Amino acid sequence: MTRPWAILRWAALAVAVVVALFPFYWMLNTALKPPADVMRWPPEFISPNWSLAGFRTVLTERPVLRWFVNSAIVAAGSTLIATFLAALASYGLTRFHLRFSGAVMVLLLFAKMLPETLLVIPYFQMMSELNLIDTHLALILVYSSYSVPFAVWMLVGFFRAIPIEIDEAAMMDGASRLTALRRVILPLAAPGLVAAGLFTFLMAWNSYVWALVLTTDAQHYVMSVGVATMIGEYRVQWNELMAAALIATLPVLGLCALLDRHLASGLTAGAVKG
Amino acid sequence: MPARAPWAQPGLRRERWHGLLFLAIPLLYLAGVVLLPLIQAVYSSTLRIRGMNASFVGLGNYARVLGSEVFWTSMGVSVRFTIACVALHIVLGFGLALLLESAGRARTALRLILMTPWMVAPAIAATIWLWLFEPHFGVLNYLLGLVGLSQGGQSWLGEPGTAFGAAVLVDVWRGTPFVMLLLSAGLQTVPRDQYEAAMLDGANALQQFRHVTLPNVAYIVAVAATLDTINTVRQFDIVAVLTGGGPAGATEVLPVLLYNTGFRANDLGGAAAIGVLLLVVVLALVVLHVSITGLDRTRA
Repeated sequence: MTRPWAILRWAALAVAVVVALFPFYWMLNTALKPPADVMRWPPEFISPNWSLAGFRTVLTERPVLRWFVNSAIVAAGSTLIATFLAALASYGLTRFHLRFSGAVMVLLLFAKMLPETLLVIPYFQMMSELNLIDTHLALILVYSSYSVPFAVWMLVGFFRAIPIEIDEAAMMDGASRLTALRRVILPLAAPGLVAAGLFTFLMAWNSYVWALVLTTDAQHYVMSVGVATMIGEYRVQWNELMAAALIATLPVLGLCALLDRHLASGLTAGAVKG
Repeated sequence: MPARAPWAQPGLRRERWHGLLFLAIPLLYLAGVVLLPLIQAVYSSTLRIRGMNASFVGLGNYARVLGSEVFWTSMGVSVRFTIACVALHIVLGFGLALLLESAGRARTALRLILMTPWMVAPAIAATIWLWLFEPHFGVLNYLLGLVGLSQGGQSWLGEPGTAFGAAVLVDVWRGTPFVMLLLSAGLQTVPRDQYEAAMLDGANALQQFRHVTLPNVAYIVAVAATLDTINTVRQFDIVAVLTGGGPAGATEVLPVLLYNTGFRANDLGGAAAIGVLLLVVVLALVVLHVSITGLDRTRA
């Protein structure tokens, strides 16, 4: 590679990194500024007045902590359901030479790709009927409608990689099918279960429209809905808004680092072999 | 495979029906949380719903929706939004994937950094951009002013023309990493010896790209394009938070029109009809996607 080209390539990558990260930097910078500095022109990229006051305000004067806990409960609940059901389904799909397993996978793919705005209508009607508006259970149920099919698509690859002979060996030694699954196959599929679990957690955490419709009371909002409602206020306090947005983002960035290895398989869930 | 004695048949083949048991629980669960609501949605699209009262109107909602100018405006916005976003995702994502290939040891770290816009909640990302776009104190006007592109006070989200561009920009910022990741994985699978052979034949960098890289990744580009189109057509969060569909419907993509119809204008039946029409579009794209990836890849 000739030198001018190499320099151009690195410059282009540098621009991409700046474009990708600058909004996050600006969120942090704004969250740390006192209100007076937020409305200063020209805006300051680094300020001697940085403080954690904005975070203190949103954590004490607004139910941000409550939203955080709601998000965590709902995401954890739907993740547990999704990984449990997906493990059963993946085992059934990969171990029994079922003729219609391909059809099941296509149906699950379809379920995974349904427009969430279409489903929000029946969910709203059903949850109103069942008196489940403003409950964690409602959100756990609707999030799992997406995360179960997703987790199956991710887990099937992991299960397929475990040779059937291992089941046979365990059962030859007297294990029942369920014991073989619990004691032998699930431990072998553990990395897949963890990856699928982290992904479903992340997607539930990031979800917006279902919680927007299925919660009406500020105490029951999840992070994304809570932050978005702060925008609609008469006078937006941008430093507080950015502090809340940052709190919503932190767990995601942590998960992102953990998930790096599984990014390709997870985001595409089966579209790329690799 | 040689025939085995009955006692030596792998248990897995003998008890095929056990597989149904393992599948039954998840599938029944999904019937409850996906299929039932889907049927309910289609049913709702045939009702005129006012508060607690619902009356059957057959295809009335569809006739009303398909006859309304708002729907077709929204359809046009959706088509333009999706084409603009997907085209930019693919071009920029492909470019970044190629750049990553030549990044050597920094490749993994750079990929992770460039993925962050995709990992953050779209609603939160749109909130951040709302602040960047802010007319009077937003940093975007400041930065554009430095290079003479803005006189300050420009309300990007307040004008129909620029609001559409702004929504596309945010979606491109968020969606490009996804395509980059897919294509980056695809580029890894191109056999090295094909490049060596091309070099021996005296092919320059451009010819290598044209005759070695492109044919090898054409499949993955098609996969990325259909997946990305499905994701973009359904996109609600970004536009809903940035503009809510405004100004004057300039950014009202179909999912946002659906939401505004159902939950702002309180017309759940009409919203369900829009949703079913959106579903038909998505379904067609899923069929296209499956026909490209092939059933062999989906068979467990």
